[in-house]
Amino acid sequence: MDKFTVTINGHTIEAKPGQSVLQTALDNGIHIPHYCFHPGLPVAGNCRMCLVEIEGVPKLQIACGTTVRDGMVVWSNNDRVRQAVRHVLEFLLINHPVDCPVCDQAGECGLQDYYMLVGRYDSRFAENKVVKHKKATPIGRWVMLDQERCILCSRCVRFTREITKTNEMAIFNRGDHAEIDVFPGGELRNRYSANIVDICPVGALTCRDFRFRCRVWYLKQAPSICPGCARGCNIAIHFNPERPHHAGGRRVLRFKPRPNPHVNAFWLCDDGRYSYPFIDDHRLRFAALREEGGVRQLYLKDALDRLADWLRASRSGRTAYLLSADSSNEELFAARKLLRDALGVRCLLPDTGLRTGDADDFLICEDKHPNTRGARILFGLGENDPVAPDRLEAGLGAELPELLLVNRADLPSPLRDKLLAAGTRLVFLGTNDNATAAAAHLVVPLVVFAEQAGTFTNFEGRVQKFELAVPPLGDAAPEWSVHQGLAERLGIDLAFPGPAAIFRQLTAEVDAFRGLSHESLTPHGAMIRHE
Amino acid sequence: MSERILSKRFDLADSHTIGVYEATGGYATARRVLQELTPAQVTDEVKKSNLRGRGGAGFPTGLKWSFIPKDTDRPVYLCVNADESEPGTFKDRHIMEKDPHLLLEGIIISAFAIGCHQAYIYIRGEYIPQIRRLRAAIQEAYGRGCLGRRVFGSGFDLEVAVYTGAGAYICGEETALLESLEGKKGYPRLKPPFPAVVGLYGCPTIINNVETLANVPAILEKGGDWYAAVGAHRSGGTRLFGVSGHVIRPGVYERPMGYSLKQLIFEDAGGILDGRALKAVIPGGSSVPVLRADEIDIALDFESVATAGSMLGSAGVIVMHDGTCMVRALQRLIHFYKDESCGQCSPCREGTGWLLKIINRIIRGDGRPEDVAVMRDVAEGILGNTICPLGDAAAMPVISFVTKFRDEFEHYIRHKRSAVPAPVK
Amino acid sequence: MELSDQLKQTLDALKEQFPNGLSVLMPALHAVQAAHNHIPAELEQPLAAYLAIPAEIVHEVSTFYFMFNNRPVGRHHIYICGNLSCWLRGAETLRDHLADRLGIQPGETTADGRITLSVVECLGMCDHAPVMLLDGEFHPDLTVETVDRILAGLS
Repeated sequence: MDKFTVTINGHTIEAKPGQSVLQTALDNGIHIPHYCFHPGLPVAGNCRMCLVEIEGVPKLQIACGTTVRDGMVVWSNNDRVRQAVRHVLEFLLINHPVDCPVCDQAGECGLQDYYMLVGRYDSRFAENKVVKHKKATPIGRWVMLDQERCILCSRCVRFTREITKTNEMAIFNRGDHAEIDVFPGGELRNRYSANIVDICPVGALTCRDFRFRCRVWYLKQAPSICPGCARGCNIAIHFNPERPHHAGGRRVLRFKPRPNPHVNAFWLCDDGRYSYPFIDDHRLRFAALREEGGVRQLYLKDALDRLADWLRASRSGRTAYLLSADSSNEELFAARKLLRDALGVRCLLPDTGLRTGDADDFLICEDKHPNTRGARILFGLGENDPVAPDRLEAGLGAELPELLLVNRADLPSPLRDKLLAAGTRLVFLGTNDNATAAAAHLVVPLVVFAEQAGTFTNFEGRVQKFELAVPPLGDAAPEWSVHQGLAERLGIDLAFPGPAAIFRQLTAEVDAFRGLSHESLTPHGAMIRHE
Repeated sequence: MSERILSKRFDLADSHTIGVYEATGGYATARRVLQELTPAQVTDEVKKSNLRGRGGAGFPTGLKWSFIPKDTDRPVYLCVNADESEPGTFKDRHIMEKDPHLLLEGIIISAFAIGCHQAYIYIRGEYIPQIRRLRAAIQEAYGRGCLGRRVFGSGFDLEVAVYTGAGAYICGEETALLESLEGKKGYPRLKPPFPAVVGLYGCPTIINNVETLANVPAILEKGGDWYAAVGAHRSGGTRLFGVSGHVIRPGVYERPMGYSLKQLIFEDAGGILDGRALKAVIPGGSSVPVLRADEIDIALDFESVATAGSMLGSAGVIVMHDGTCMVRALQRLIHFYKDESCGQCSPCREGTGWLLKIINRIIRGDGRPEDVAVMRDVAEGILGNTICPLGDAAAMPVISFVTKFRDEFEHYIRHKRSAVPAPVK
Repeated sequence: MELSDQLKQTLDALKEQFPNGLSVLMPALHAVQAAHNHIPAELEQPLAAYLAIPAEIVHEVSTFYFMFNNRPVGRHHIYICGNLSCWLRGAETLRDHLADRLGIQPGETTADGRITLSVVECLGMCDHAPVMLLDGEFHPDLTVETVDRILAGLS
């Protein structure tokens, strides 16, 4: 039999054999309170919050540790269960400091949530609480530990034992003096450490970067893809559109992993997670033109006029484009249509993000760009791309280009100096300031991934969608809209009406993407066709 | 004189030596079993005997053995639970001290029955003299071919090793014992899977109490039917009753299942100390509900004690006379369970600590009228909701004490002192 | 701090008896304590490395089991039982007497490092209550007088 029927709180639902009662309930929209259970970790069964009554079984059973049987009848909401769960919650809170006002978990705390759901009692605990050793103690670059808030669910312990296999988190001592900690004098030493903040259901483990920058109830979320490497881990961008003053002007305050069983399961590496500041820091907001006597800011439309003039003026074969693997598939496709196909521009992918030896056997890739695979496919790049910095000059052709468009990359300074000395017009299209932007004749500000919708193709060929989280800063525009503006000015019949339409065009024209649609990318992305 | 199965050598000089053991018929049964019987025949005999686990839970031993998967390609382990730590319980200590070869013979026969070639004796770390004695006995047994390669010249191999705990009552819980034996904290495991399927190092494992195994040679010698007839109801054989507390002659008394509790206290153990009156009895180790003096006219077998609202448990009988303050007595027990809670699951970890704080406060003279009700409610919040039976073990005494001696608790709270004049200290 | 050669020999012998490094840990900690009086924190890392197990597990185990001392204890270690059967027969009086005589509270060690007093849970000697375990031997049926005699005999 490959399907069972179980009845939970009177709802009869289908269940997969071997699955737990808790997972079955959650999959069917029935919420059974739980702390220690996490779908990405082995079952521990220690918190006892998910106690349920199973007809025919005298004692209450934990839903996380009970496998469904055909015809099983389960109650998670009757008086007996409610009473037991309330007891458990009361037990978890007696030694908890209940210091919610000064706790950064406030608003996303399992104790707060379940107190509302199943608690609602007046405290009967008239005793002194157990005092634990560590309050607000850093246990690594990113993680802060408050032992008193811990409910000993052991999720962090299981994470470092089973997922990273680095074993840093442990529970020392016994009974009500048991406490989570790292080895005395030690610290977290894995590259996924902040996941234990995500999975901590209470305020025991908080993020040192995020702490007290913003109350979580001000945050909004947008589903996205981590731009930190070629893995394409699924994330939610947490941003605070209303109160950027809470965080020194930053709108985006954190990345959190979103589950995707094909890519990152439930996890995210620290490098990717803490790459978010580039969204708000050192951004290029307005176009700039370098002229005799200095640099002047100008409207984007005027910058595009100027760039269109330069493209028109540049002799055939003497314009080159350094594309970026940070661009979305849609942006790359627009560049391909205009620059490569219509204008015959030489297109190269410079190698700016490969950190050889940096990969691990889990999520982290050597390639630090989210869309190298997409760039390769869309530009038909072969063995020679990406082009290493020392081969970039040779890659640009026998003669140095008259006009060089650089997308995001910071050129090696000798090459940059040589180009400028040779009279090459340097145009920088990019999101963040760097030395090449500072030296460019013309700067065209682009939006970052978080300011537009689009897709990336990860290193395995999985195409994944991301959504707009925050609006563009200043005059910054998606690259496809820049190409649209240029096409209009150059009288080329190309239309890029928006990311959804471009994606449809792309799937119609590019074999590898044929058959994909935004629908097929939901929720976990879809693989390209392998020719 | 009643039948003596377990204690028949206790009074002999040098009863712990293999010389005395063999001279009194020891190892003859194991030798015969290995030569003449099949493992299945041994298990059948034990099933017939109605031998039930002597650790406290009373699970039928033969049935437990039959849960080992047939034709498993993994090693099968026998773990001997010698982690005797239940307050009021000291019977296994007597066996290991005075007749360790009886235990070893039981191990040999039982290991043969379940197809085990490596047995571990998990013994509590405090039993230091007993550890020494067991090790010496094992060495003697190896020297005489009773253990090791080709036991008694048969085709059966068996290694036996002693593994020492380090002070944790919880390791008497069979899955915590396995964790400890694997080198970890004594955290009980979730069941299922049961140890007979996934036990030590993930292999099929049987965990049996010392006294349980010490019964096996006699069952195989005289037959399961004989053994069952010694007992009462579905509880076969005799038990080593450990009597302690306010009696004139504390000690271990081997009596048949179904023996009279009154007789045990007033005849065998000599009655109540200092000529005082009996007040209460805990009949099966500190975890089981307490009985008032008027509730002790019962037979000591699993079924009868259950009918009286308590449990036979480990058969550790703790006797309290009328000079005992039940508030202080319960405080000792709560202190124990709080100290010994492993801390893994919430109700036991937090609940035992809470209970101790309440009762300490009552004893300090800061009790509140609602405390008795809160204690009862906290205990009920623990009862049945934990991973392992330690939660129940902590809750049951609380519930029974505050119910049966409610007046004493209320008196203590109201008057800030014991209801008992000049209570024992 | 390093494991002594003698300890390493003991550990090597233990490794022969058990299927993996982890299952050697408990006997290994007993051996470390026998050699060093307690489990020195600085030895937990070297021990973990020698057994090829995480140091965190070593510390978990050494802090879980009551008999593993994470701090130095006296040359003599008194474990006096405070549980019900012993308490019914006067263990509390003996505990107070011991504390008075030694000038320390339970859990403490005399200033000269001679004696540590621990009140423990049931020692399984209830038929000889009250009882204490001292340096590996049980002392049954204690009275104030026998306790004094035992204390007098300690070096």
